[in-house]
Amino acid sequence: MPDEAFVVQMKGITKVYPNGVAANQGVDFNLRKGEIHALMGENGAGKSTLMKMLFGLEQPTSGEIIVNGEKLELSSPSVAIAHGIGMVHQHFMLVPSLSVAENMVLGMVPRKSGIFIDRAKAIALTREYSEKFNLRVEPEARVMDIPVGMKQKVEILKALVRGAKILIMDEPTAVLTSQETVELFAELKHLKQQGYTIVFISHKLKEIMEITDRLTIMRNGRSMGVYNTKDVTKEDISRLMVGRDVVLSVQKDKAVPGDTVLRVRELEYMNEWHKKMLDKLSFDVRKGEILGIAGVEGNGQKELIDSLFGFNVPNSGTATVNGSSILGLNQQKIRALGVSLVPEDRMLYGIAAGASIEENMISDRCADKRYNHGPLFNMKAIHDETDHLIEEYTVLCKNRGQQVGMLSGGNIQKVVVAREFSNNPSLILADQPTRGIDVGATEFIRKKLVELSRSGIAVLLVSADLNEVMELSDSLIVMHNGRIAAYFDDTAGLTDDIMGEYMLGLRKQSPAEIRRACHD
Amino acid sequence: MLNFLKILATPEFFFSIIRISAPIIFATLAAIVVEKAGFANIGLEGLMMFSALSGSLVSFYAGSWFWGLLGALATGVLLSLVMGFFAFRLKTDIILVGIAMNMMGSGGTLFLCKVITNLTQGKAMASTTGLITKSLCIPNITLPLINKIPFLGAVLSGHNLLTYLAFLFCLLTSIMLYKTPLGLNICAVGENSNAAASVGVSVLKIKYIAIMFSGLMSGFGGAFMSMAYAQGWSQDMVSGRGFIALAAQAMGGGECLGGLLSSLVFGFAQALGIKFSAVGLDSNLASPIPYAVTIVGLVIFAMARRRKARKQHSAAALEKAEQ
Amino acid sequence: MTKKRQLRFTIIRSLVAILIGLLVATVLIFISATGNSLQARLSATQEALKQMLVGPLFRFSKKNGTVFEFKRLADILAAMIPTIFTGLSVCVMFSANQFNLGAEGGIMLGAFVSAMVAIYIPLPAGMHAVVAVLLGGLAVAIVMLLPALLKSRLNVSEMVCSLMLNYIIMYVIKFLMNTYLADKSKGQIQSYTFRESASIPPIVNNAVFSGAKLTWGFVIAIAAVVLCGLFMYRSRWGYAIRMIGINQGFAKYSGMKVGSVIVLSQLLGGFLAGAGGGIEMLSRYNCFSWSALPGYGWTGITIAILAGNNPWMVPLAAFFMAYLSKGCDLMATYAKVPAQLIGIVQGVIFLFFAADQFLFRYRQKLVVKSAQEEIEMAKARKGGEANA
Repeated sequence: MPDEAFVVQMKGITKVYPNGVAANQGVDFNLRKGEIHALMGENGAGKSTLMKMLFGLEQPTSGEIIVNGEKLELSSPSVAIAHGIGMVHQHFMLVPSLSVAENMVLGMVPRKSGIFIDRAKAIALTREYSEKFNLRVEPEARVMDIPVGMKQKVEILKALVRGAKILIMDEPTAVLTSQETVELFAELKHLKQQGYTIVFISHKLKEIMEITDRLTIMRNGRSMGVYNTKDVTKEDISRLMVGRDVVLSVQKDKAVPGDTVLRVRELEYMNEWHKKMLDKLSFDVRKGEILGIAGVEGNGQKELIDSLFGFNVPNSGTATVNGSSILGLNQQKIRALGVSLVPEDRMLYGIAAGASIEENMISDRCADKRYNHGPLFNMKAIHDETDHLIEEYTVLCKNRGQQVGMLSGGNIQKVVVAREFSNNPSLILADQPTRGIDVGATEFIRKKLVELSRSGIAVLLVSADLNEVMELSDSLIVMHNGRIAAYFDDTAGLTDDIMGEYMLGLRKQSPAEIRRACHD
Repeated sequence: MLNFLKILATPEFFFSIIRISAPIIFATLAAIVVEKAGFANIGLEGLMMFSALSGSLVSFYAGSWFWGLLGALATGVLLSLVMGFFAFRLKTDIILVGIAMNMMGSGGTLFLCKVITNLTQGKAMASTTGLITKSLCIPNITLPLINKIPFLGAVLSGHNLLTYLAFLFCLLTSIMLYKTPLGLNICAVGENSNAAASVGVSVLKIKYIAIMFSGLMSGFGGAFMSMAYAQGWSQDMVSGRGFIALAAQAMGGGECLGGLLSSLVFGFAQALGIKFSAVGLDSNLASPIPYAVTIVGLVIFAMARRRKARKQHSAAALEKAEQ
Repeated sequence: MTKKRQLRFTIIRSLVAILIGLLVATVLIFISATGNSLQARLSATQEALKQMLVGPLFRFSKKNGTVFEFKRLADILAAMIPTIFTGLSVCVMFSANQFNLGAEGGIMLGAFVSAMVAIYIPLPAGMHAVVAVLLGGLAVAIVMLLPALLKSRLNVSEMVCSLMLNYIIMYVIKFLMNTYLADKSKGQIQSYTFRESASIPPIVNNAVFSGAKLTWGFVIAIAAVVLCGLFMYRSRWGYAIRMIGINQGFAKYSGMKVGSVIVLSQLLGGFLAGAGGGIEMLSRYNCFSWSALPGYGWTGITIAILAGNNPWMVPLAAFFMAYLSKGCDLMATYAKVPAQLIGIVQGVIFLFFAADQFLFRYRQKLVVKSAQEEIEMAKARKGGEANA
């Protein structure tokens, strides 16, 4: 029986979320005992969903999961753990104020005299596993005091101590420094030698080539195939992973860029774990053009937008809009300088779900003279403005008083976009403007962005959607590891393959080529 | 002034600090444990009111303080379960649940007192002070040997059974939180409930346990009020101790020892107030002191927390720079 | 969900919550009813319920049957004055998600300050009351700066801080009364009487309606509701307060000054409570004699919850609470059921109003229905486009 070679088989897995999003469509996935298996794909490709189902956090709509030859209903993580499956989450599942040993034994605490925690035993257990797997941790230190690399080791040990034979690691190197990554790889190889099976979710080609035996590539909820790592080239992977299934094209005239609106120079930002997320970033966005930023998520795009909109303060560098510095200003002042933002997470920042469409439309302009009569709102002006925006942006709703939270994702995004596009901006920051919304709304928003840029507005478009960023952008930056890996002043002739190689760090332009992003 | 200090330097004064602090200690422990589990129970005041009433009534009908105490505890636990049901099952804001409990605890207890006494005694009474005799109160205990020590003996010996229990529970709660698996689970649920859930700890169960613990402690606090501090129940006799406990929890940094010390500070302030009136000064001048101390304490605590966070941040940055 | 459906849900939910509260009340009344037989107790219960539910507006007599009585209505309206103010105060603060519970102390301090102005500062009639009430409100607003600033600067819990302030306010007032301000010629602790110029005059002529007393304070309270409603729903500041309460991140991103608005909401809440205290004091009393917190602050919280933090609904909620309170008083007088029943009924209704998941399934059904309709609408529109 050939099946016996596999410790895990997932067959024909389909997952449709209640909101109608099909995250996985007929995915086949398997693991051989004692291998390190990479699961690759862009954000939204469905990797996490697939692994969540293997760990019992989600249940498949259809398809079957076979672990060690036994067909299982993985209804909760506890069931998965009982069958030897462990997961190391990207956001650590640790309790900061408890010690390493306490975190290790949480939920399975050794007792003495039947009542008390047997700390000595917990510490001994931690030491034992720590030595056995060569994962060095300090059992008595509090988790809040230890470095990120050690936290990750605690997470791995937590899974091992619960009897995991199959370890799912969700982007384990995303938070690690390069030394820590080297250490982790040595540890993973060690685990592999002892017969453990590891799923390694990552976008980083170099790492995958270095450490994995086989790899599964996912794109748009489907598997693009399983390969032996040594049989494929980086270029193959990049082509399989980054690519467009359907090329939607948006009609647009050639841009005639004017003066520089946003000027960013030498921008540097370190996050709270002191990892450098933006590394000497310099570029310009000019009037009348759309500058796209492509890149695999987590390469500094979020930090860039946050820095430009006052949500974090960069460590060094400058950013000006029409000559005025915007770094460290509050959102009110940034908006006053003519900057608009379509935020990445619309539910968190973009809207107040419990308020009406109208109330969401005017949040940035509520103090404007046009909408006020002395101390009171000019309700007629506000109604007119809202009705006008609802019509112009074809927001599908009963009336302007309807709660925004009750609308569909696409209509919610249209409300956000209507507000941000209509406040007379000189610069629009559009962060993943069409993520997770229906085709109609997507097309509408894209058209609108082009239209606005042609009317003389500068647009900075950040998108993980290659189709979007390549179709809409007049010029394009690829970000990798907090740096600009490439700048293209024209997207014509760019292929998915070339993009993929820059996005995954296989290629990098020369400093002189990158410097062209600044139009001094 | 010197004279006044002389009055303060008596064993009676220190004795009264301990006595007054006891119910606050119970309530503070209640506040500490729920806070560790990640939420706030601001209904302690109401829980204590109900427990105080039921303690004195059960004691009277059963003719034994012991049953009264059990009644108070059962009342506290049962009502805390109701709070838990609304907060966790019906997803009511826990703060609003607390407010509702306090609302009912104020007028509702008087209603129940009147109705119950009317049913059994034939006339509605606005307090149970007339029913409770000394023997129905929880007894005081003389500590052998210790009571022979000069000064200290008079301070430490002769307290109510519950006063000693308050201090004992401080220790026990601390042990429960830091030495038992249950405490570990409570801390884990409060700090990172996903982490707890991911290793199979039932978050809901732990939250119910925490709120029941707060009910139990409120039961002790209430019993102390009506069966030790005073003889019998009267309306609004808890007079803000449940709220003070919330502050003591915050001021004590959420730890048992800190909470104990903060409770004693309130006890001191209140004892001082009583002494003020004893020497003919207006007690209203001293009564607000514990509340003012609370606000000052909260501010100091918040500033310390902020400074500590800043320090950690810069220390980490330094460490990184050195690498 | 559409507005209409939302409204229907809100009304049904409110009625069910009130019904549950009354059901609890009925059970408690039955338990407390006196009577030897079941029959007697049932009829006693019925009598008590009648007093509680109908009594606040109607007088029962053997001769005339049930007669509407204006005095009773006037009493209820008068009782609404302080609670409308505390209700508004809590609405404003809770709307910004600020759990400041200082309305209780605020109304006492406002009453006290207004009383002092009414006694010690001679001013012409008409202006006197206005100044007194404004100063009362202002004093409380200043006191509320403390929890507000501590919250916005140091993230100190405004709830604990305001609770402590309630007690401090009460004791300091008691101290000042005992030591300096009491009229020593009186048997109990009370201030000197207010100057004639400071009192808020009655609207209705007392004698005509058998002692009914309703002052202009009620009109001011209704005016406050209107102003507050306009402020919350028709002004940029009120709008900012509400948006911060719904989603603080959204408010910040939209460019609102979150810290300042948080402070503003508590200042305004303080002012309303204080002004309410002043109006209550100057329309109902002729000297200051409160020796404990009056409880209006807590009623205000109930009212705000019943009103869903919407100032326009505050008079209705305040009327309900005043009606219930009056009903319980009457029940105590005529049916010998203790008036404090209201504490429990109020708590139960409050809980069910605040319970998010109460009647959750019913709500879910309505949401699904709306979603389906939306999809139909989208289809219809698409079809229309295709045809065109």
